[in-house]
Amino acid sequence: MKDIIRQLVETTGPSGYENEVRAVVQKMLKGQVDSMKVDALGNLITRKGQKGQDGLTIMLSAHLDEIGIIATHIDERGFVRFTSVGGVHPRNAVGGRVRFLKTGQVGVIGMEPNQSATSVHGLDKMYIDMGASRRADVKVSVGDVAAFDRPFEDLGQRLVSKAMDDRIGVAILVETMKQLKATPHEVVGVFSTQEEVGIRGATTAAYGVDPDLGIALDVTLTGDTPQAATMEVALGNGPAIKVKDSGMISDPRVVAWMEAGAKRARLPYQLEVLSGGTTDARGIQMARAGVPVGCLSIPCRYVHTPSEMVDYGDVQNSVKLLLALLSKPVKLA
Amino acid sequence: MPMEDTKTLLKEMISVAGLSGHEAPIRQILERAWQPLTDELHTGRLGSLHARKHGLGKGPRPSLALVTHMDAIGLIVTKVNEAGLLHLDQIGGIDARVLPGQLVTIHTRTGDLPGLVVLPAAHTLPDDAASSAPTLPNLRVDTGLRPAAARRQIQVGDLVSFASQPLELDGDLLAGHSLDNRACVAVAHETLRLLQSRKHSWDVWAIATVQEEATLFGALTSGYALRPTLAVVIDVTFAKSPGTPGHKTYDLNKGPTLDWGSNTHPKLLAELQTLARKLEIPFQDAVYAGGHSGTDAHFMQVAGEGIPTAILSIPLRYMHTPVELIQMKDIERAGRLLAEFITALDDTFMDKLQLDDAANGEAQS
Repeated sequence: MKDIIRQLVETTGPSGYENEVRAVVQKMLKGQVDSMKVDALGNLITRKGQKGQDGLTIMLSAHLDEIGIIATHIDERGFVRFTSVGGVHPRNAVGGRVRFLKTGQVGVIGMEPNQSATSVHGLDKMYIDMGASRRADVKVSVGDVAAFDRPFEDLGQRLVSKAMDDRIGVAILVETMKQLKATPHEVVGVFSTQEEVGIRGATTAAYGVDPDLGIALDVTLTGDTPQAATMEVALGNGPAIKVKDSGMISDPRVVAWMEAGAKRARLPYQLEVLSGGTTDARGIQMARAGVPVGCLSIPCRYVHTPSEMVDYGDVQNSVKLLLALLSKPVKLA
Repeated sequence: MPMEDTKTLLKEMISVAGLSGHEAPIRQILERAWQPLTDELHTGRLGSLHARKHGLGKGPRPSLALVTHMDAIGLIVTKVNEAGLLHLDQIGGIDARVLPGQLVTIHTRTGDLPGLVVLPAAHTLPDDAASSAPTLPNLRVDTGLRPAAARRQIQVGDLVSFASQPLELDGDLLAGHSLDNRACVAVAHETLRLLQSRKHSWDVWAIATVQEEATLFGALTSGYALRPTLAVVIDVTFAKSPGTPGHKTYDLNKGPTLDWGSNTHPKLLAELQTLARKLEIPFQDAVYAGGHSGTDAHFMQVAGEGIPTAILSIPLRYMHTPVELIQMKDIERAGRLLAEFITALDDTFMDKLQLDDAANGEAQS
C-alpha cells in the first residue's frame, strides 16, 4: 500500500484543481469497481455492490484536494505574490517550496525583511522566487495554482509527506474499494473536491448520491507531541472514530455501529473529539432531509504543514475496519 | 389553570439533558406530550421531531411550521487524565465564566455519574489564568472516582450536562438550564394546546429541531423534508438584567419580540404585528444584526425552494448559563398570538405575502 500512498501524495492537486490526482485514482481503480463517473464539481463517484434487502446506500468520502497557493501578481523582477488556497499558515510557508500545477516548475517562498526572529509576516509579505531575474523569464500567470513540494519519506512505521491530508484517506478508500468483495450494500466511494475551501465537493456529491449513511475518511490531530493541546488521540493507537468536531456531531447511532464493528473485528480504535476543524461528513449530514454520518479519522501529526506524519498501522487498520463494517448489514440502534 | 400544563411540561423538559446531536431524552418527552395534541408524529433523519395537526381545509392544505430547537448546550469529555479528572470541550457555546463550582452529570456508557466542575489551583495554571476569568481548557470535572475507576467508566466523547434543577421564583419566573430553547418548545406546546378548541383550515407542523446550537442542520433538513408553506421560528433573545446595554436587550414580561432582519419575511412579520396589535397582545420590536439571526431561521428560510419565515423570541436572562431565567407570562402571550395567527390563516393568506410589487399592481402607479 505504500506505493499507492507515495504516488498519491506526490501528485499536485490544490482545491479546485484536482484533475491530476483524480486521474491517478481513476487509473488505480480501473476494472476494480462497478462504475465510475465524474460529476459537475469534479468529484469522482465510484460504486461497488448492489443494495440488497438488508442493504443501504453507503457513501464514503475522502477528499482529493490539498492546501496550496494561487499567484496574485508578478513584479518586474519576477517575484510572484500569492495568497492561500485553504488553510496555509504563514509560519509553515517560509522557506517552503511550491510546485506549479501547469508547468511543474518549482519556486521557493521568501519573506520581506523581518526584525523579529520569533514571528513571521502574513502571506501578503511573502513572495515566490522562481529563480528568474526578470518577469519575462517567469512562466507563471496570475491565477496559476501550486502546492507545497516535499517528497514522500518512509520512516518505517511512520510515513511523512505533504498532502497526507487527505491523500491518506484517498489511499484508504482506493484500497477499500479494491478489496471489497461481498457486501449487502451499494457502496459509493466518493473522491471529493474542494474540501479545504469549505467542503464544497462532498456537499453536492451527497445531494446527488442521496445516501442512507455517510462516512468521511480524513486526518485528525493528535495530542501525543511535546506540549500538545489536550487530545487523547495518538499515532499508532488505531484509527479514530469521531464523536464530534467543531463543524459536525457524529450521529451517535453511527458511532456505536463503528465501535461495535471494531470490537467484533478485534481492531484497535480510539474515540476522537476534535476542537478545531471538520470534514466531508459535515457536507453529507446536511444533504437533503439529512443523513446519519460518522467519520473514520487517521491520526496525523503536523497537519497543514509540508511534513504531515501518519502511522502505517493506523492506515492498514482503517482499511480492515472499513471492510469489516461494509461486509455486514447495518442496524442503526 | 390550563397554562399549568405547559409549565409542568417545561419543568420536565429542563430536567433532562438532550445536548446537540444527542436529543433522544428530550425527544421522548415531546413525543409523549405532542402525541395527543397532533394527528401525525414522526422522527426526521437527523432526529428532529415532526408533529402535524391537520387543518379543516380541503387537501392538499398549506401548512405553517412552528420551529423550535430542542437541543441544549453542554460539555463533552476530551480526556480522562492521570488523576482521573476530566478535560472538556463544549457542545454549542458555553459561557465558561460561570462553570467553576457547577454540579454536572456525566452520561457514560454504563450510566450517569455526578460530578463537579473545578478550577485547578492557581499555581498549576498559566501565569495570567489566576487573575482572569477561567477558560474551558483550564477547567476539569471531578467525579470523585479513583483514576483507574474513572478511566474504566468514562470515555472520550461522553457527554456532560448541567445538573441544576428548575427553580421557580416569585412573580412567575422560572430559572434553570436549557430554557434556551425549551421555553420556546413550551410556546409551541401552548399553541398546540390552544388549537385543540379552535377551528383552523391550515395544517400546523410543530417541529422540534436538533443541533441548532451546533450546526443548524435540524432546521435545514426538516425544512427540506417537510416543505412547510410558512415557518415561524421561536427562539430566545437577550433580556434586560442589571448592567446590560438597553439597545441590545429586551424587557422580561412585556411580551415576546418580533424580530426584524434578513431571515425575516417582511410581510409575514407585518401580519404578525398587525394581529398582535389588534388583539392587544403585547410584543416588542427587535432587530438582529449582520443578516444572520443566529437561529434556525437562517437555514429554514433557504430550505428547498425557500420558505417565508418569521422569528418570534422569548426574552431570557443569563443566556448559555445553567441559570437561564424567563417569565412564564411571555410564553403564554406568545402561544396565544401564534394560536390566533394560525386560526386566522385562510385560502387567500399567501396573496398578502406577495413580494412582487408589479404583481400587486403597485409598481405601475
